[in-house]
Amino acid sequence: MNEIMAVWAEWLKPSAGLPTVQWSILLAMAAIAGHLIQRYTGLPKVVGYSAVGAVAGLAGFSGAAWPLQGISLFLLELGVAVVLFEAGGRIPLRWFRHNPMVLVQSVLESLLTYFAVFWVLVWLEVPHVVAEALAIVAIVASPAVLSRVVLDTRASGPVTERAMVLATLGTLYALTWGSAKAGLMFRPSHPLTDTVYPVAVVLGLSFVVGAVLALALRSALRVMNPTSENTSMLLLALIAAGTALAAHFGGSAPLAALLGGMLLKQLNPRPWTVPRQLGTAASILTMLMFVLVSVVAARADWSAPVVTLVLALIGARALAKITGVALANPGSGASWRQALWLGCAMAPMSSVALLLVSQFVVSSPANGPMIARIALPAILLMEVLGAVITTLALYRAGESSKPWQSQVAPMPESRDSTGDRYGA
Amino acid sequence: MALEPFGNSAALSLGVELELQLVNTNDYDLAPYSDDMLRLMAKVPLPGSVVPEMTSSMIEISTDVCHSSSEVLGQLTQIRDALVKSADKLNIAVLGGGTHPFQMWHERRIYDKPRFRELSELYGYLSKQFTIFGQHVHVGCPDANTALLTLHRMSRYIPHFIALSASSPFVQAQDTAFDSARLNSVFAFPLSGRAPFALTWDDFSAYFDKMTRTGVVKSMKDFYWDIRPKPEYGTIEIRVFDTPLTVGRAAALAGYVQSLASWFMEDDPFMPTEDDYLVYTYNRFQACRFGLEAVYVDPATGEHTTLREHILATMAQVHRHAHKLNASAGIHLLRTSVEQGNNDARWLRERQTHERLLAEVVRQGAQKFRGL
Repeated sequence: MNEIMAVWAEWLKPSAGLPTVQWSILLAMAAIAGHLIQRYTGLPKVVGYSAVGAVAGLAGFSGAAWPLQGISLFLLELGVAVVLFEAGGRIPLRWFRHNPMVLVQSVLESLLTYFAVFWVLVWLEVPHVVAEALAIVAIVASPAVLSRVVLDTRASGPVTERAMVLATLGTLYALTWGSAKAGLMFRPSHPLTDTVYPVAVVLGLSFVVGAVLALALRSALRVMNPTSENTSMLLLALIAAGTALAAHFGGSAPLAALLGGMLLKQLNPRPWTVPRQLGTAASILTMLMFVLVSVVAARADWSAPVVTLVLALIGARALAKITGVALANPGSGASWRQALWLGCAMAPMSSVALLLVSQFVVSSPANGPMIARIALPAILLMEVLGAVITTLALYRAGESSKPWQSQVAPMPESRDSTGDRYGA
Repeated sequence: MALEPFGNSAALSLGVELELQLVNTNDYDLAPYSDDMLRLMAKVPLPGSVVPEMTSSMIEISTDVCHSSSEVLGQLTQIRDALVKSADKLNIAVLGGGTHPFQMWHERRIYDKPRFRELSELYGYLSKQFTIFGQHVHVGCPDANTALLTLHRMSRYIPHFIALSASSPFVQAQDTAFDSARLNSVFAFPLSGRAPFALTWDDFSAYFDKMTRTGVVKSMKDFYWDIRPKPEYGTIEIRVFDTPLTVGRAAALAGYVQSLASWFMEDDPFMPTEDDYLVYTYNRFQACRFGLEAVYVDPATGEHTTLREHILATMAQVHRHAHKLNASAGIHLLRTSVEQGNNDARWLRERQTHERLLAEVVRQGAQKFRGL
């Protein structure tokens, strides 16, 4: 593939540089694949995006540097920041006052995931530092994949809502802990108490950037309509600025956006409809994010020992998430069946996990490659498989408002024959 | 199937049903949480009942048999408080209103229950468009013939009920220019509208037998009339009310119905005739379209007046009965709103003019329902 690219580069001198052309064509192919996957299998579009990225990555496409840096890092951070801002804006803190068990579910599933993955990897003779980093990465359940699946399946209901909230909270813990941990990885060993200061710094700085973002938007919303196109553009521009600034100050850009979203929800109780208004711009950004993640993750080493470790990590993670959610389910207002599907819906790992791994690789040249060796295949696998599992879970929970079927296959008689079966 | 005999109930006893909306607290669109609400509400000892409705974003609450509107208010408040608590636990909101202002009917899911599935098979998309929210008021009648007489007398006051309860000006994110657009959805059903003019139970039974012989209906449930007899309860059921935004207004409306029924049963103020129905549909349309500002055509005299004046005149007529039934406070609430030209539809429009965001109107509607 690289030879073809070299010949092409000699022949073509595009105004914006060859990588722009390569990425544009890759995104076009991803868009087609996403559409066809959904049309012929009923699976969410994100599966198609990831598949195209994975094929490109496996074929040796070199359009994204690893560890992430420069424009690809910024675009990934921006994509994640947009998703997390919206996800943070869906978390009303008052809910935890009325239903503390949801918060307990979140803490429990995150802690169980961390310890289960850590112990399993240590048992498989992975060094402690590496197992610890991978356990932090495993906490993340991708709000980006979830929100795309929710959009594609037109799902709504208690499982969908809780999955989004638990995934967002898990991301909050993992980003805080992971960013702080990445700063300490150059040290050979350190006591647990040493992580308190960096956690406070990452959280504090991200909070400041998030608060500025939230306050700016709240002021804007006093005079601008939340459904206006200009409000969406303002939001995107402010998140981009916040993304660039947060990392510069030593905070975490995605964390700042997430905290900004949460804060705005508290400061501005008026309904906030980010996803509908950001429209195509945000969709392209998230598609780029999925392609980028799989391009990078596909470069992983797929040797037998790695595959065993990856499968062990994924298995322990899945079991821990389902158990954590189930243990705190009594009193949370959900049924056991919903708890099971909720645990399953949190399967995907994607962009946030990749960002964390990239951080670990940059901060620890010694352990970073080993972390990436296990994490990258796990991320790729769970981006695709996770999207499928989440889709299944939302359908099994009865929360999709359209039937799962290929849109070109003959329409079976549906029990609810009120026109939905002919829907898009 | 033969018409069941008219049951026993205490004259002027009351029962109220309210269909309510379940919305998420993110964009305030309808949310399919009825199963979860039913599961949580089943754990709370309450009067009345909480049951599912046609689509999974709806829930219906009802009182036990009450004897006064203040008792209705007490029960509705108790159920409302439990509903709000359950909704808080699920991170959703509950509210009244005849329509959800911007929900898309095709996104609704039929609640998984045999009767709703059957209706969905029969009525197609109409069943999802039936995601509208009404209040039903049952009034106890001492016997079947009195029930039918009261039903047809009550028909003259259908415009009153529509205008006083109207709370559905917005449909599919548009201002319909109607105060109660909800009833337009009901009109699409083939067995909607007015009940046949039968003043005796024998005549009504004969009509019912003829209808069942055609195979079009199987039970009284198949009739979607504005007012229908409910033989198993021994009541007549008035079904034209939009669900008000507060339980206080819902109880007040029940008190108004009860006072009218008391006036009919005790004073025999007039005899209904088939000709009353000459202007029925026109008056009904006027009330739906213009609310309290509607034109009211008196079926007996043909005189045109404003609906607002006619309601105030009726309230004066039933004053004695309202006082006797302990319904004066509710009637006073309604009278004040009529004098000020206010109903819930107007409140919703004013909120939208101010906020320019229907989702925010829904959020404020949910706060109003909580009593905030």
